[in-house]
Amino acid sequence: MADKDDCEVKSVEENINIDRYRKLVRSYLDLHLYSAALFWADKVVSLSGEDPDDVYWLAQCMYLMKQYHRAVNLIKSRGLEKTNLLCLYLVVRCLLEAREPTDALQILSEVEQEGNFNLTTNMITDSTTVNHSLLDNNLNHLQSAILYLKGCVYEAMDNRGLAADCYKQSLRRDVHCYEAFEALVQHQMLSSWEESELLDSLPFSEQCAAHEEGLLRLLYESKLKKYHAPGPVSAPLPSQIAGLSGNLDLAVAQAERCYYNCNYRQCSQITEEVLKKDPYHSSCLPVHIGCLVELKKANKLFYLAHRLVDLYPEMAISWFAVGCYYYVIGKSDPARRYLSKATTLDRLFGPAWLAYGHSFAAENEHDQAMAAYFKASQLMKGCHLPLLYIGLECGLTNNVKLAEKFFLQAQSIAPEDPFVIHEMGVIAFQNQDYTGAERHFQEALSRVRSINESMIAEKWEPLLNNLGHTCRKLQKFEEALDFHQQALVLSPLNPSTYSAMGYVHALLGNTAEAVDAFHKALGVRRDDTFSTTMLGYVVEQLMEDTPPFKGAPDDVPNYSISPTQPMVVSVEKSEADKSMFADSQAESNVESENGNCNTIERVAYSSRSPIIEVEMHDSSSAQIE
Amino acid sequence: MAEESLKFDLREMKIEIRKAMRQCQCRGLIQTTKWLSELNFALQDVKLTLGDVPPEIPDPEEEQELDSYLLAKSFFDVKEYDRCAHFTEWCRSPKTRFLHLYSRYLSGEKKKLENTRDSSCPNDPVHNANLRDLMSELKRDYLSHRLDGFGLYLYGVVLKLLDLQKESLDVFVESIHKEPLHWGAWLEMATLIPDRSKLNSLLLPDHWMKQFFLGHTYLDQQLNDEALDIYWMLRQNGFENSHYILAQTAIAFHNRRDVDMAIQTFRQLQRMDPCRLDNLDTYSNLLYVQEMRVDLAHLAHQACEIDKYRVETCCVIGNYYSLRSEHQKAVLYFQRALKLNPRYHSAWTLIGHEFMEMKNTNAAIQSYRQAIEVNRRDYRAWYGLGQTYEILKMMFYCLYYYKQAQQLRPNDSRMLIALGEAYEKMEKIKDALKCYFRARSVGDIEGTALLKLAKLYDKLNQTEHAAEAFNEYVRDCESRQVGDKSELSQAFKHLANYYIKRNQVDEAYQYAQKCLEYEETKEEGKALLRTIAQRRSQQEEGDMQVEDDNSPVTRSRRTLLTALTEYR
Repeated sequence: MADKDDCEVKSVEENINIDRYRKLVRSYLDLHLYSAALFWADKVVSLSGEDPDDVYWLAQCMYLMKQYHRAVNLIKSRGLEKTNLLCLYLVVRCLLEAREPTDALQILSEVEQEGNFNLTTNMITDSTTVNHSLLDNNLNHLQSAILYLKGCVYEAMDNRGLAADCYKQSLRRDVHCYEAFEALVQHQMLSSWEESELLDSLPFSEQCAAHEEGLLRLLYESKLKKYHAPGPVSAPLPSQIAGLSGNLDLAVAQAERCYYNCNYRQCSQITEEVLKKDPYHSSCLPVHIGCLVELKKANKLFYLAHRLVDLYPEMAISWFAVGCYYYVIGKSDPARRYLSKATTLDRLFGPAWLAYGHSFAAENEHDQAMAAYFKASQLMKGCHLPLLYIGLECGLTNNVKLAEKFFLQAQSIAPEDPFVIHEMGVIAFQNQDYTGAERHFQEALSRVRSINESMIAEKWEPLLNNLGHTCRKLQKFEEALDFHQQALVLSPLNPSTYSAMGYVHALLGNTAEAVDAFHKALGVRRDDTFSTTMLGYVVEQLMEDTPPFKGAPDDVPNYSISPTQPMVVSVEKSEADKSMFADSQAESNVESENGNCNTIERVAYSSRSPIIEVEMHDSSSAQIE
Repeated sequence: MAEESLKFDLREMKIEIRKAMRQCQCRGLIQTTKWLSELNFALQDVKLTLGDVPPEIPDPEEEQELDSYLLAKSFFDVKEYDRCAHFTEWCRSPKTRFLHLYSRYLSGEKKKLENTRDSSCPNDPVHNANLRDLMSELKRDYLSHRLDGFGLYLYGVVLKLLDLQKESLDVFVESIHKEPLHWGAWLEMATLIPDRSKLNSLLLPDHWMKQFFLGHTYLDQQLNDEALDIYWMLRQNGFENSHYILAQTAIAFHNRRDVDMAIQTFRQLQRMDPCRLDNLDTYSNLLYVQEMRVDLAHLAHQACEIDKYRVETCCVIGNYYSLRSEHQKAVLYFQRALKLNPRYHSAWTLIGHEFMEMKNTNAAIQSYRQAIEVNRRDYRAWYGLGQTYEILKMMFYCLYYYKQAQQLRPNDSRMLIALGEAYEKMEKIKDALKCYFRARSVGDIEGTALLKLAKLYDKLNQTEHAAEAFNEYVRDCESRQVGDKSELSQAFKHLANYYIKRNQVDEAYQYAQKCLEYEETKEEGKALLRTIAQRRSQQEEGDMQVEDDNSPVTRSRRTLLTALTEYR
């Protein structure tokens, strides 16, 4: 019996072709039939006597079946993580998925200390490890991937500085490792100049062919930050890669460019085209949602949010869309609820944090808004927007000094953002440093103009008006009028622009024009006290100054027989009148000057608030890429 | 202008009109098409041969989009504007592009009209989002020089609605240079020209359409004689059958307060084109002023039969009710007119008048303001505003509005008198006097300037002037056989008193006599006569003392006269 059994076993062993089963495992994996793959991988491991490669594949199957601890155990029990680079990678990956970053880090550091592999150099110190087909030409990739994972581990442990370093190393090791690049760029780890520095330092020429280099650089550049400074929409692609012109990623990059140039209509046109082809394009969605918020298309947002939540309830973007919808229709409570849900799903989802802050800011709850922005600023070291908003909130709570500090900080990250420059101008204005304010505003304006010389986005109307206010303060009345007129062209029928123009006219002594402008202001906004009082003064002055009708004689015409006496009387009287007028004029001037001080504050204030809103919306998608 | 007396080549003109009609029609510019067709009809005696108006050859770009265009145009014609806009979104040929933008504009305006709950504030900036979008899109096209004459027109219209007048005017001028026969652009432009100097400074194409435009603008600017000259010239040169010109002539007469001529012209127009509703509201104003109840009632019924829901009809009916002092109903109809077209300025003015009648100053102010917003040259609205503020005792405002009205009608004594009264209330006597003087010199319509002047002098105790003015007033009234009875009697009383004080007994006697003719002053007249008689006797005594027997005959005759009158 026993012999017979032995015999049978032997014959089986002889007949078994392990490679066949290995192939079977791969093919089942390709078909995502993980149980089958696991079953056979397990058998292969036993059959081959725990060949490290086969153990790796078994662990791989476990990983794919989300049995992370089992996989870790499998590898660690055999100590393979110390000898086999692939196994190390898989172990760390599993621990990360199992949310145990400390263990992962421990393993990584153990391995490093033992010095089996030196991840930072090209040399593999221990020759025993690498004899795997996968690694033959992809050693760099693997090393880069492990570095990337290390970065992920650090990030999961909230050690974002080290994480960034790891990502950078990973990217240098393998410039094609988009994952590391994405982690750096999307999570706002770097400021814009750091980003471009990184891009310059990447060894493109070593790792790719000459013509490829340009392509890679272009693709990466399209992903870089765009909101720190407005710029022209990108030029047409070079001819050898013209085939990419229909690529959705590039279209999204273009849409973002439009978005940060405040050209929301064009942006939404592009995003809609993209979403038509790929309805759930993940990098397009945030831009699209931001656009819809900006254009206040509540209905579209509602539908989109519903679809997203139905399909991807576990994704932060879905709940972000819901929160944005409530934000647009002005229901802050539910907006906050869903935005906070988005932030719990993905703690690094910047737009949700900012929108969360906006939902407080919209209701003048400055402290809570600031808290949210602070959180955002911690998460997004390379992004200046949270700082900008904190500064705004400080400004609104009359803490000008602190506001200025934050703006300066924001400016150190993004020195070219016109929004920041504009806010610096407002601060200077409030400090009554009008020349400084003018300088800031002018600089912001020239930055805005650099996008498109002839067309300025409507968003920038407050900037022009603020320039007008500043010029008025500096007694450059004609320029002030010019700026206000430009503002009017951008945003017609704006009552505060009209009343500002009226005020300048009044100061210039163009009473007739002043009356007209104040009338227009009141025509749009009836309950404007400044315009009402000013109109009162100006009308009075105009009526005092102008003759009763065009071509009226200076003297009262004599009535037929004219005794001299009454004439004399009347002349005297008129002189007396004149001096009286002069007094009353002076008086009214004084009063108007007073009234005016108030308004300037007020006007400046009121023109600030739109900007605030501006930037608020802005942020909603600012972060994403 | 009229001296140039252009000789028109009517045949050439007709060909041009025909071509322009086609252009406008395919773009859905129905009002201009209507206007051009009327003009074309007026030239029906000019015969064209078959080849004169060549069929249009579409360029390849248009040809490519022809299917979209045809679809969109059919939607446009049934007023499905959004649908039309959707199907033309990506079209590039100017014609289809225009249709796209125009339908978006119309759709926005339609929604705005439907969404404004009360008609008191059509300029709510909330509803202007569509216009702003359109503006930025048009601006982009404009800057890249892709707008043709019609596109420029639309850009101008949008700019104008957003109150960017200067920019809008420039665009219209450009548009007109490209499409001189597009009457709509001329019309829109006319409202942007504040006065004649501005008109002369514009660089307009030297086209026969300019004559029509000048006529229209002169009329708008109350330069009625100039307008009449132009229309006369046009009628001389081949347009004698144009109903449009006839209507414009009637309006010119109306503006000149040449009421009879105006009514006559309107009647003629009605005979020629009985179903025409355009400008009938002006006709009804005339009938209202003349208090021709029967005619107005007839007109109201007639208009109502033709089309109940036309702005003009509503105005006619409103006027009719107003004349019957049913102000509530009148307001209702004017409001309906405004619902139909919130940019119809004369309805705003009329509704303001009704609110004044109903003592609702707030509503009146709002309405007048709207009227001005729509058309800054509506002097009646400015005047109405002045009146309301006078009631509210806000004199500076009142003065300002009266001045505006006066500037628009420099030769209308009513504005000057209103101004004078306002100055008087503000104790600015000198200015008040100037106004009254001016009112007298420009031709006093209501004949009150002298009276005001006299009373003012009286108040100032400048009795000689007062008397002089009263004298002239009385003479004026007698010669014209008009004048308010009580005012006249007061004038006589005043004069009598004045002469008594100056001891000019004869004159005093004469005026005291006049006082007797009026019910109000009869008793006072008698008392005056008594004092006069007393004075006389005193004088006689004094006379007798001084000079003994100087003219006893006359004296006796005088006493006789006194006796006689007292007898009567």
